Amino acid sequence: MSGDVIVLLAGILAILGATGVLFTRDNFYAALYLCLTMIFVSSMYAAYNIQQVVVLLTLIFVGVVGAVTIVVAATYETRLPREPNKVWAAFTALVFIIVASAYYSITTELKISGDFAKEFATVPTEYFLVLVVLFTLMILIVLSAIKLVKRVEL
Amino acid sequence: MNISAIILTSLAIIFIAYVEAISAKNLVRLLISLELMFAGVLVAILPLFSVDPAMAFIFVILTLFVSCSELLILITSIILIGKQKRRTDVDTISVGGDSL
Repeated sequence: MSGDVIVLLAGILAILGATGVLFTRDNFYAALYLCLTMIFVSSMYAAYNIQQVVVLLTLIFVGVVGAVTIVVAATYETRLPREPNKVWAAFTALVFIIVASAYYSITTELKISGDFAKEFATVPTEYFLVLVVLFTLMILIVLSAIKLVKRVEL
Repeated sequence: MNISAIILTSLAIIFIAYVEAISAKNLVRLLISLELMFAGVLVAILPLFSVDPAMAFIFVILTLFVSCSELLILITSIILIGKQKRRTDVDTISVGGDSL
């Protein structure tokens, strides 16, 4: 099976997973469908052999974000009588059709190849400042969240 | 693989998440739909790897950081509202959110 077929299959399954989030009533199952969608998104990267991103997505996006979402959904589990907002769904579908028709004209073939270990070797040095700023911001957000929840002065 | 197919997949996921966020009656469901939007964004970054892989990698890291930050902030607000109002419906924050 070629990479393109895998990407197409993973894309269709990711859309089906997203549709599952939309139509399920239980928050817990919605979180499970979300994790499923995330796994299919990371498998799209795996099909193009971008292993570093696959590891990042699987560890952080699926492993941390997905797992924490499942825990929160299980803690505050509710079964609300719900249905998607039909007016907004119709409007969104209309916008999707317009944008899709515009993008459909793009015929550029996606050619992803090369040794990504070499390509990404420059990332820690070239983007060092960006990474430091991101880590600092994340630590600040974590400390603020702890302060808000525990209501203690740090 | 045509780039438009990947962009359309990304758009479909983002629009489904948008409808979900609009229809959400619960904060947890809102959190799930916003995370779903980030999944769509990550699909949209995939074609960038054919142009500049290093920059695309940084965009992936940036998206993951933003996603984690959003998760932290929403979980904090869910815990706070859960403590105060004993439920996490969106209606509870539409009135008097400032009292938190």
